[in-house]
Amino acid sequence: MQGWAGKILDINLTSGSIETLPLDMEMARLFLGGRGLGARLLWDLVGPEVHPLSPENALIFTTGPITASASQTSNRFNVSTKSPLTDTILHANSGGWWGMQFKRTGYDVLIVRGKAAAPVLIEITADGVVIKDAADLWGKTVFETTEALGQSRNKRNVLCIGPAGENQVRIAAIMNDKERALARGGAGAVMGSKNLKAIVVEGKEKNQPADQDQFKFLLYETGKLLKASPLTSQALPEFGTAVVMNVVNEIGALPTRNFQQSQFESADKISGEEITDSILVKNQACWACPITCTRITKTKSGKEGEGPEFESAWAFGAQCGVDDLDVITEANYLCNDMGLDTISMGNTIGCAMELSEKGLLPGDLGFGQADKLLDLIHATAYRQGIGDELAEGSYRMAAKHNAPELSMSVKKLEMPAYDPRGMQGQGLVFATGNRGACHETGNMLGPEVLALPRLIDRFATQGKAGIVSVHQNSAAVIDSLVYCKFANMAVAEEFFARTLTAVTGVPFTADDLMVIGERVWTLERLYNLREGFTKEDDTLPSRLLNEPVAAGPSEGFTVKLAPMLQEYYAFRGWDKNGVPKPEKLKELGLDSLISNQ
Amino acid sequence: MKIKLYGSLRQKAGAAEHETTGTTVHEALANLCTYHDALRTAIFDGAALRAHVRVMVNGHDCELADGLETAVSANDQIAIFPPIAGG
Repeated sequence: MQGWAGKILDINLTSGSIETLPLDMEMARLFLGGRGLGARLLWDLVGPEVHPLSPENALIFTTGPITASASQTSNRFNVSTKSPLTDTILHANSGGWWGMQFKRTGYDVLIVRGKAAAPVLIEITADGVVIKDAADLWGKTVFETTEALGQSRNKRNVLCIGPAGENQVRIAAIMNDKERALARGGAGAVMGSKNLKAIVVEGKEKNQPADQDQFKFLLYETGKLLKASPLTSQALPEFGTAVVMNVVNEIGALPTRNFQQSQFESADKISGEEITDSILVKNQACWACPITCTRITKTKSGKEGEGPEFESAWAFGAQCGVDDLDVITEANYLCNDMGLDTISMGNTIGCAMELSEKGLLPGDLGFGQADKLLDLIHATAYRQGIGDELAEGSYRMAAKHNAPELSMSVKKLEMPAYDPRGMQGQGLVFATGNRGACHETGNMLGPEVLALPRLIDRFATQGKAGIVSVHQNSAAVIDSLVYCKFANMAVAEEFFARTLTAVTGVPFTADDLMVIGERVWTLERLYNLREGFTKEDDTLPSRLLNEPVAAGPSEGFTVKLAPMLQEYYAFRGWDKNGVPKPEKLKELGLDSLISNQ
Repeated sequence: MKIKLYGSLRQKAGAAEHETTGTTVHEALANLCTYHDALRTAIFDGAALRAHVRVMVNGHDCELADGLETAVSANDQIAIFPPIAGG
């Protein structure tokens, strides 16, 4: 294969059929792979009549044209489906080894539809594709399942769900390579609803670039750029992603105790610096990645595992008012073993703590109760007691207790570790996120805080719409190639385009990539509109719009969303209701999708 | 005034927090570097801040005020971040 293998593996678990379909190469050119190709296929396969947890929903695993090429960070892959948490389009991507290994089986895409009568697993090797009985694995945790199926870093890779996915917990993740996660939006619950426990891959094919000499040159040049940047060669390897904990806290944008405050007095105790000083064993890399940002850690009780990343340390830390790094780290391990999204889990527990402190939820749950975290996570995965409510995510839980406004979520997806009252552009990113509140689809931490590529006023609103749109488009195309966004801190889109050209033999420019990013973003928007979402869903929790920050550097600020949103729709070529105009759809080649409806 | 150091700067200075004096950010940083020479090359590139180094005064990036000439007083708090990334 040269970029694309040209094949889709289509499995129906209801009938047991296994088919190989040709990849539409024009579709591949327009959407590349990963998130973009996943969205395009989902558009055709899963309409508004489909319930996310019904057999009619599809799980679409997609790689990108650069996946497994050995270009730096070319290990990532994507899953697209309709989310049981948000009912929106969902894309989630993950690093590790599984994506590379799946690509080496000779397929670009795996579509899983239907529902098996009893628990099964799918095994894809050079000998063929088989659906196997997995009754003996049902009930096992992620770590147990991964080990039982013979995970081997470069030869055989396991993707699976844990108890949370089996029990259709709406914030369940799909896990790969033991501790990597397709985390957000509840894809694990969709997999559980299909009685699909695991997908095991062993590949032998190679993604061999069309222009070997140019590819080798770009590999060398990209390596130099990653080594020259202090961000990718020093900051991330030395302190991991949680090194941003202190800077986000310093500026007054670290959500604390369910976003009631924007600074955590113990932020340093849960920071990347503290992780490095007190629990780090070593750092680790995904396949073909020189950045090595993964933390292998060990707690005082002797437990060892991956993480926590910044978002996870925040979710079980500042969001819950907890500063015990050992407990936070073990909460992270437990989520990985149960197959849970750490952001949504920690955020939802923080919401429950506020509900309880306000007398809206029975019990004595309160902020700072580190000793409760592990029990709550376990109860969520198995839907036991209060865990059955947590398993529904923060919005449904809070709404049940007549306080939906205490759910810090957008489109029911729990917000990540930024208080947008101190980062106005981030507020626009969260409000307009196609999968809900998400920092991975246009994070404004770079321009609003870290001066990447240059510093802009984080409290300003005018002009933010354009910057946010460009960031969203850029993230969409990186997720479609699929690269890691950390590589983009040192390597510009121009290099991605040249590498894509060398791998596929099809000429692409950086401008082409940005148009593809916009096409993907707009298609996701169309999908949500078709599902019945409107501009009313492009909003934030009322706390962030109406309650000014009480103290600290962001004191007095709320998110001034309305003017940014108006500007955003105009910048994107959408009408005042947030609907893409016909001329924009024509420009992006999406008009035929609408006319065919 | 208090200066807080983060990331790799802590190891270079041997502690996370320091007291220093000065009427501008530049003076305060220069005074700090007098006692912790290893910080100088980590923070400065000639007379300017090294690329990706961020300096906050009371939580506000000094680049959006008067840069290194931003006025400071004894009650202000300065935070210095080396190149960092994540999220």
